[in-house]
Amino acid sequence: MSTILEMTWKEMLRKKVMLLTLLLTFVFLIAFWFVADTVGKNDPGAGSIHNGSELFTRFTNGAFILSLGYFFGAFVIAFLAIFSSFSVIAGEAEQGVMQALLPRPLPRWKWYLGRWLGFVTLGVSYAFILFLAILLITNVHASVPRDPAALVKSFLLFASVVPLLISVSMLGSGIFSALGNGVFMTMLYGAGFLGGMLDKLSGSLRLENDALNVLHNLTGIMSMLMPADALQRRMTAELFSLNEIGGLVSLSNGGFSIINISAYPSVSFIVYAVCYTVIAFAIGILHFQRKDL
Amino acid sequence: MSSVPAIDANALTKEYTNGRGCRDVTITVGKGEAFGFLGPNGAGKSTFVKMLVGLISPTGGNASILGHPLGSLEAKAKMGYLPELYRYQEWLTGEEVVRLHARLCRIEKTLADRRIPQLLQEVGIGQRGKDRVKHYSKGMQQRLGLACALVNEPEIIFLDEPSSALDPIGRMEVRMILERLKERGITIFLNSHLLEDVEVLCDRMALLNNGAVLRHGKVSEILSKRTSWHFKVGGYTPFLLSWLNEHTGLTIRQTAAGQGTGQEPELGSSVVWLEAELDNEEQAGWLNGLIVEQGMTLYEVTRKQERLEEWFMDAVSGLSHRGESE
Repeated sequence: MSTILEMTWKEMLRKKVMLLTLLLTFVFLIAFWFVADTVGKNDPGAGSIHNGSELFTRFTNGAFILSLGYFFGAFVIAFLAIFSSFSVIAGEAEQGVMQALLPRPLPRWKWYLGRWLGFVTLGVSYAFILFLAILLITNVHASVPRDPAALVKSFLLFASVVPLLISVSMLGSGIFSALGNGVFMTMLYGAGFLGGMLDKLSGSLRLENDALNVLHNLTGIMSMLMPADALQRRMTAELFSLNEIGGLVSLSNGGFSIINISAYPSVSFIVYAVCYTVIAFAIGILHFQRKDL
Repeated sequence: MSSVPAIDANALTKEYTNGRGCRDVTITVGKGEAFGFLGPNGAGKSTFVKMLVGLISPTGGNASILGHPLGSLEAKAKMGYLPELYRYQEWLTGEEVVRLHARLCRIEKTLADRRIPQLLQEVGIGQRGKDRVKHYSKGMQQRLGLACALVNEPEIIFLDEPSSALDPIGRMEVRMILERLKERGITIFLNSHLLEDVEVLCDRMALLNNGAVLRHGKVSEILSKRTSWHFKVGGYTPFLLSWLNEHTGLTIRQTAAGQGTGQEPELGSSVVWLEAELDNEEQAGWLNGLIVEQGMTLYEVTRKQERLEEWFMDAVSGLSHRGESE
């Protein structure tokens, strides 16, 4: 299994997937620096907080910058997870690469697990770098949460999208063609993202209660189909300890509803997302065990 | 343990929803034997091989490799496989690909370090071992595949069209490699369209058509079944043929002149080719005498042993096979 894991890392590095990702991440972080600098301009400064209002301003500025950064970051790690793994079975089987490897004395589940671990460790490592970079840049321009428990929890939620998407992507790769799975994964992720987006925007749409309920049901179903965006919203909630500060401060970011972090999924939904990941992984591995190549 | 066959397939069946696959294939291949597996396109040859190497699950029947169930790690540890559709990790070098296979076979690093360059040399890509596979031609990838298949020093090797992308020199080299493997007692299961390779290398063979074994037997027996003799006769009259058939009790027929001898017909002349299936040279000499006695001129006598290609064509001619509809 370690051989397959190592092969996966080598593949990602040799194919320059990680190099390109890191280069573009660097470009993004430069842009993010300037955005953070612009937003943080009205920051009262660390040593000159005279009243609660300034404290809230500094906090909300930091929350806005971080939310913006992680909003983009979530996209990047989601697409990295999807595009690194969407053709892992179908693509290799179509090309004939897998037909030479699997007659080797290696149980199929070890091959599957090795590939999964390879993609997940890479994705999580990348997520860690991105998470830290966004946090550090924001820290220069505004206030950031410093509670270690909150930071760890939020990072785990931020990175949890990686195993979730890779599990589903590998499952799809065992069922669909490489191209079909790429389209399927993009649309599935898009559906989850749209569900989350509609949920955030629903408050500003001024709909009747009945219509709002229908909309919430729809967005709930979409989020259940793909809970990646919901995990991301929960991540920002954990980062800012929203359940503790409750109504003390509004984090709806005024009219900028896309990164509204005041509405977030429950712990039960996180449990659902974990179960979703485990089930997708288990079905994927069972399906691969019996797959004809 | 020595009585355990290398391959023992009993009514092995794979049914697909489109009706393809193979059904009730029963063959036994002894250890150290070279077995040829023939058949037209779409006959189900690759499906059968894939079942044997554990890539496809059978829907019926059973089989064992060296006494181990299909798909078991024990069976896989003793086999090498060169797939029909071969592609290797193009981001790796040729040497790294073979090393990957060696690691999956749990071959010690020191042993792999020694064996891999030798193998690459043997299959003819020793100078290109450090190059990335993406720079390899199809033929080189096929050679690389052969090196991968041999890295664990298998007791049985499955080769699915091992020379399909090779030039004539490459084919000859691969054939020589296979001959050496056979000399070392390695069981060879050769699925090939190159009937010449099967003819030269294999002890036994089976012909698959529409997913079922149509014929099987020893290559030497199949090839020795018929030896036809061709007589180029001048001054021929149709009377000769009926006279010969009547007096010899043999079946002698006139063929399109030169058919099967590489010679073109001599239109407009009285020179014809007669063909007869004879048991031995004495019979041929006797027939020569009879032809001359009848006042004909005998220009040429050719013995023509049936080639596998003709046997194959004869066996599948007139049969519908699934490749036709592809």
